[in-house]
Amino acid sequence: MKRHLPYVVVAGWGALNGLLLAVLGIYGESSLVFWLYGGVVALLEVAALAVLASSRTGPDQHVRYRVPDRGAGAVPVVALGCALVALAFVYGLWLLALAVPLFGVAIALALHGTTASEG
Amino acid sequence: MTVASPAAGTEDTGGRPVVPGGWLGWVTSTDHKRIGLLTIGTSLVIFLLMGVLALLMRSQLAQPDLHVVDPATFSQLFTIHGSGMIYMVLTPFAVGMGTYLVPLQIGAPGIAAPRLTLLGYWLYVLGAVLMLSGFATPQGAHAGGWFSYPPLADKVHSPGLGSDLWIAGVLLATTGVIIMGWTVLWTVLRRRARGMTMLRLPVFCWSMIASCLMVIGAFPALLAALALLAVGRADASVFTSNTWNIGYQHLFWFYGHPVVYVMFFPYLAAVAEVLAVFSGRRFFGYKGTALSLLVFAALSMSVWGHHMFATGQATNDYYSLTSIALLVPAGVEYFGMIGTILGGRIRLRTPMLFALAFIPQFLIGGLTGIMVGTPVIDYHVTDSYFVVAHLHYVLFAGSAFGLFAAVYYWTPKVTGAMLSERLGRLHFWLLVVGTNLTFLPMFALGYQGMPRRVATYASFDGFAWLNLLASIGAGFLAVGIGVFVVNVLWTLRKVALGRSGNAGDDPWQAHTLEWATSSPPPRFNFAADRSLPPITSFAPLLDLRERRASGAAVGAEQEGASGS
Repeated sequence: MKRHLPYVVVAGWGALNGLLLAVLGIYGESSLVFWLYGGVVALLEVAALAVLASSRTGPDQHVRYRVPDRGAGAVPVVALGCALVALAFVYGLWLLALAVPLFGVAIALALHGTTASEG
Repeated sequence: MTVASPAAGTEDTGGRPVVPGGWLGWVTSTDHKRIGLLTIGTSLVIFLLMGVLALLMRSQLAQPDLHVVDPATFSQLFTIHGSGMIYMVLTPFAVGMGTYLVPLQIGAPGIAAPRLTLLGYWLYVLGAVLMLSGFATPQGAHAGGWFSYPPLADKVHSPGLGSDLWIAGVLLATTGVIIMGWTVLWTVLRRRARGMTMLRLPVFCWSMIASCLMVIGAFPALLAALALLAVGRADASVFTSNTWNIGYQHLFWFYGHPVVYVMFFPYLAAVAEVLAVFSGRRFFGYKGTALSLLVFAALSMSVWGHHMFATGQATNDYYSLTSIALLVPAGVEYFGMIGTILGGRIRLRTPMLFALAFIPQFLIGGLTGIMVGTPVIDYHVTDSYFVVAHLHYVLFAGSAFGLFAAVYYWTPKVTGAMLSERLGRLHFWLLVVGTNLTFLPMFALGYQGMPRRVATYASFDGFAWLNLLASIGAGFLAVGIGVFVVNVLWTLRKVALGRSGNAGDDPWQAHTLEWATSSPPPRFNFAADRSLPPITSFAPLLDLRERRASGAAVGAEQEGASGS
């Protein structure tokens, strides 16, 4: 039980939301609301399962850690590409012509493992 | 990839380093402390900008029939002020604090998925830039309010590009915050050091669990609402259907209420930590508070319809019931805070002043929240200045005071230097006077019928002197924030010049693990010369001091006995 307490917290929190949704069901609401809230409860339970799967495959508490940083140079480029995609919906899809090469650059940086020196 | 033990003292960035370090090292850093500081710093800069917008609004409203800005610009000001403060300041600051503090408090050398966390930060920054760039478009920034209901926010009534940029910006920033929320949650659940069981987590970590659960549960609803708004702007027929008009409100407020608690819990927990440390005792009612945070968070997911009482299309009984039920977990947390102070050896340093002011001021926000959570009162005050006053008592008199308590409390850890106590006290008193002078009159204004979001009012409305008081209060706030900025910049300047003196690892005699490492902490948080102390409770450093004190007392007794 203690080992899986993180899972219990997330699953229990999702279940408490499910209970509140059930009470709302007694009062009645529009179907959109039930889809919305029900979908969120389902999402939370999926998140809980992910926590459970992780708990089963690894220790609850750690002594050694993996601290990945390889390819971090690609991250701002990806974010810029995402911003251009968002802007494409404002100014036109031609902006995708700029976004796609940026994603290409990001992939290259990630594969190259580019990481800034943090000194 | 680096494999690090909590005591690792060497740096190995892995991958292929780009030279030189410096700013490039910051913008592509996977160090959770740098990402956290970038997030906090960015949100503080936006906070100042949003404050300027507020001052412009208060200048206009200081007297009847003033026209400092035209009505269209005024609508842009309150829209971007509200959107900026909620989407770009208080929420990211809270998640940024989690990004910085959670790994340190659980004894981990880093955050889970640091590159994703960094992506979250950059999406947030670019989202903020897009939203603010609306001011540079021909028709100005978005002017439909921070919740942007259709049909006001549709293409017919808000035709400008600023509205599209607002949608794109908020969508990007919220996506970034969701990503950061996930990584903070995963860190606290799955990256704890040996000995750090769930029931030894500091209160701040529990607040981040509750907040991040709301982030992953509720924030996607905002993305759905924004997508719906974008579709509705492309196809006007969407919002001719009441299903989607009222549906937008459900989607929006399903996010819009929990976000208030995401902007509250981390600051409440910061206050809790400060109260415990400056009372010289461990936090009272730890388990009850942790449980109440989770219950509070779950209940807050179910109250969104109270923002829709006046539509006549929400199940008012249910939403009123759950809104009033929030009093129970809130009461538990208040008992915890007050129980911590009672009987403590109180030290009235600047963080403690802000934490103490948080308690009564947030109470005003909370109790008026219960009032507007009751349909009969809400019908009377909806869309009035009463709601503006309530919101600002929660988010400014409450959360912002928690934010400043956190800044004064953790700055020595982050920079290695103390902020000026004298300027801090001046900042505090100016803020207390300014906050209450600005927002208390707004309750009366709202009760007398002044609607929110009006660009001006007539002299015969009878709102003049209360508005004047509020605007004078805003002046106090501006001076107070100015003092804070001077204090921070002055301290950072001293740090840069090496004249700041050394705050030491633990200048406050604090309780949690971040104070066991150096100030500022090294790349992997706990170097070999300052390894993790035994984690025996949610206040391991207090335990350590108590053990040392009792050991010293026993030693002295034995010495005394052998001497006699």
